[in-house]
Amino acid sequence: MAKCGGWAGKVLRIDLSTGRISRDDTVEKYKDVLGGTGLGYQVLWDEVAPGTKPFDPANKIVFGTGPLAGTGAPCNGRTAITTLWPMCWPKPLVATGHMGGQFAAELKYAGYDGIIIEGKADRPVYVSIMDNKVEIKDARHLWGQGIRRTTVELSQQFGPEVCVAAIGQAGENLVPMSVVMNAYSHSAGGVGAVMGSKNVKAVAVRGTGSVRIGGKKEEWEKLIKLHLSLIGANNQHVVPSAPQPWSEYYDPRSRWKGSRGRQWGASEPTIDTGTCDPHDLNTIAYRTNNAVHYLGDIAWKYTVRGNGCTGCPIRCHTMIKVPSVAAKYGIPEVGMNTCGGLNFGRSFFKKFPDGARGMTNMEACMVGMHMSDDYGLWCNYSQLQRDFKKLYGDGTIKNKLAEKEFKSYSWDKYEKGDPRFLFELLPRIAMKEGELGTVLGLGTGYMLETWSLSEEEWKKDYGLNYWKMGHPKHHANEGDGQCGVIINTQYNRDPQCHSHCNFTRNGLPLEVQKRLAAEIWGTPDAVDALGSYTPMNIGKARMAKWSLIRKELHDSLSLCNWMGPWVASPLKERAYRGDDSIESMLYSLATGDTKSREELDRLGERIFLLHRALTIRDMGTKEMRTQHDTVPEWVYHDPEKRPVYTKGTTHLDRDDVKLAMEMFYEEMGWDKTTGAPTAEEYKKVALGKIADELNKKGLLPG
Amino acid sequence: MDGAGTDGMEPALGKGTRKWITGFIRKKSKAGQFAFRDEILEERARQHILDSQQRETPELLDTLLEETLVENEDLQEVSAKDGPPRYYSRQFMSEAFVTILLRKEGDPLLLLAETVRENSQVYPRPIPLDAFKNYPFNLTQEEILACLQQMTETDQYKDVQRTTTSIGTVFLYSTLHLDPGHARMLAEWLDVGQFNNP
Repeated sequence: MAKCGGWAGKVLRIDLSTGRISRDDTVEKYKDVLGGTGLGYQVLWDEVAPGTKPFDPANKIVFGTGPLAGTGAPCNGRTAITTLWPMCWPKPLVATGHMGGQFAAELKYAGYDGIIIEGKADRPVYVSIMDNKVEIKDARHLWGQGIRRTTVELSQQFGPEVCVAAIGQAGENLVPMSVVMNAYSHSAGGVGAVMGSKNVKAVAVRGTGSVRIGGKKEEWEKLIKLHLSLIGANNQHVVPSAPQPWSEYYDPRSRWKGSRGRQWGASEPTIDTGTCDPHDLNTIAYRTNNAVHYLGDIAWKYTVRGNGCTGCPIRCHTMIKVPSVAAKYGIPEVGMNTCGGLNFGRSFFKKFPDGARGMTNMEACMVGMHMSDDYGLWCNYSQLQRDFKKLYGDGTIKNKLAEKEFKSYSWDKYEKGDPRFLFELLPRIAMKEGELGTVLGLGTGYMLETWSLSEEEWKKDYGLNYWKMGHPKHHANEGDGQCGVIINTQYNRDPQCHSHCNFTRNGLPLEVQKRLAAEIWGTPDAVDALGSYTPMNIGKARMAKWSLIRKELHDSLSLCNWMGPWVASPLKERAYRGDDSIESMLYSLATGDTKSREELDRLGERIFLLHRALTIRDMGTKEMRTQHDTVPEWVYHDPEKRPVYTKGTTHLDRDDVKLAMEMFYEEMGWDKTTGAPTAEEYKKVALGKIADELNKKGLLPG
Repeated sequence: MDGAGTDGMEPALGKGTRKWITGFIRKKSKAGQFAFRDEILEERARQHILDSQQRETPELLDTLLEETLVENEDLQEVSAKDGPPRYYSRQFMSEAFVTILLRKEGDPLLLLAETVRENSQVYPRPIPLDAFKNYPFNLTQEEILACLQQMTETDQYKDVQRTTTSIGTVFLYSTLHLDPGHARMLAEWLDVGQFNNP
């Protein structure tokens, strides 16, 4: 029974080796890490010894939701899946895959805030959670099936309301580039093989309970309305893509696509998205169309509607219906996804016969979604596709493969941009067939190692987006200058942090962004115009710290970091201000545990430091600055060799980046030489015991 | 009697008409359109809501319009180069949108040039040429190309330049506010880069 609102009250623990199922009290044991990634990091610190490998039974996989999951809070549908990361190279370290969909809410309604899966089953199993009834069941009839067949089978057994999080053949075959997926299109990247290593095919959950809200109903409803009023479109873009009668500003490349005359052409009846006045909270779902954003205006005709996570008004998973693909490729004519999912198939190709945003591009998208979302393949933020294009283009694939295997691919189809090529490539990655399929499925780091390729070459190539440790950048200097660079140094996978770029890409004019930046980070200089960068300053360091802490808060509360924080809004009457306290207000009312913004940010910092401590412990070094927080060479070079800070460039100065890291460490209170948190900083966030353990291992600075 | 200038109209009727006019202007503004006096008269006639003695004349309506504007802070009158005044509600139509509508009524060359300059200065960014084919600009491809050709031949518009991205999309920018290199980089980012960094 929950002592607080928000939390369901129990964390489920499933030992696959012994078959034991037990429950921990969430509030007693995990309240101070909230849930989500916080729960995951705490479990890994307490229970998974350094040196454990991802596929060892001793590794654990933690499905974490937070106190806001399953409430009416907008954008609450997130589950964080934390484990030791199979693609982290050369040494596996902690990382998290994030999925939306319906899983988080359903788990909460069943009475659980998280699931800790440990050990290894001796045969394929799935976990069934039907409210209080939790069982480990035989999955041999499901093993070898794709995610869709698995979901259908379990839905037929447990009813259509059940939510199934499953792996496909890729996860079963321990392909590191694999996902766990729920609700048709919502995947957590990078974790599928860990589930597969435990012989777990799926988790099926059905909950008939509810989530208690700690605060007063009227206050909660008022807060939800406030939050909704501040919401923009996907990625918190707060201006429409075309001028609207109500709008002062617009941005043709905004994700806010809804506009008079823009219609969901495949819906019945056809829906005109209209002017989407931000005061009309009932038309928030009309604003975003990610199919149009990625595939071009051609996608309007094929749009059925937006879909998405529980409790989210944004509906960023666009459902498209393309009748021609059924006969042409033998795949379902309906598909849906967002961002990376929409890009999966099309990103393999250099070009298409009818242009970058024509019909073939859309068909490649459909084929890619169909296959990857069923096999459960992951793209590592499109690094898979970039690596493939490079390796093909420079002849490496031809050199490395045996002639017979190389000739078994229809390279002419690939050259022509024929989506049918994907039917030859993707299954081989999922099934580990052939050398190419096997190597591509390892992830970049192990691919480089296996084929004796130079990581330095990857680190010099701007187009590859490679950062370090086998992972790509994700919103680095190309859009966010020094702040983006700092953020990309901090994790053991691509950082999955959008706090900063949700702000810089919100579509507001630079003058407005600078005004808001001054209010949030103390100086308008925290943000630069894109491609017109200035040297490092304290505002950028504060912005980086804020971005990281808010990301951890979102991932622990169950809020979507692809949407928050909500510090800008579409409302002229608020001078486009959002509210920097949305997270703390939601937390306080949902749980009944009142925390100010600063207090909740301190909790977020605690969670972030837990990740840092785990990384330091498992790397066995405190020299984070030189061993972990590294920056690839391409950051410092301009293809046209122009000086830094020239308008039209996004590369940075080496000494300025050093200063950026120092200013960030100082802002965090960490030791500047090593980049490691000090004992004092751990104690400030109530991690004194962790500091003691690190000290015993000689992993504290000074 | 209700105020000067409404001779011959009962106070309640004048009030009702002013309320109707207010609603009409706001509705038009929400739809992204100006309201015109003659249009108001025609619409009232079409709806058969003119006074039974047909006392509503253009001159009377002008007076009522004036009074309506005084009563309602959000209602505005704007004059254009040609033609009668336009009416709109600030509550439902932004000054930015008003500017676009006024430019649309004039020379498409000016619409294009001023919009390009504004984007280059305010945001700052280049703007895709295709944006002008869509709502609310609604120019045809031929109109746009004709304007661009004219711009190259006219000194006062020579600041408006094009840049083409790696996938062939044309963007426009003003050299008054954006360096060519910066515009080129921004166009490539807006058209290609940000989709490769979703």
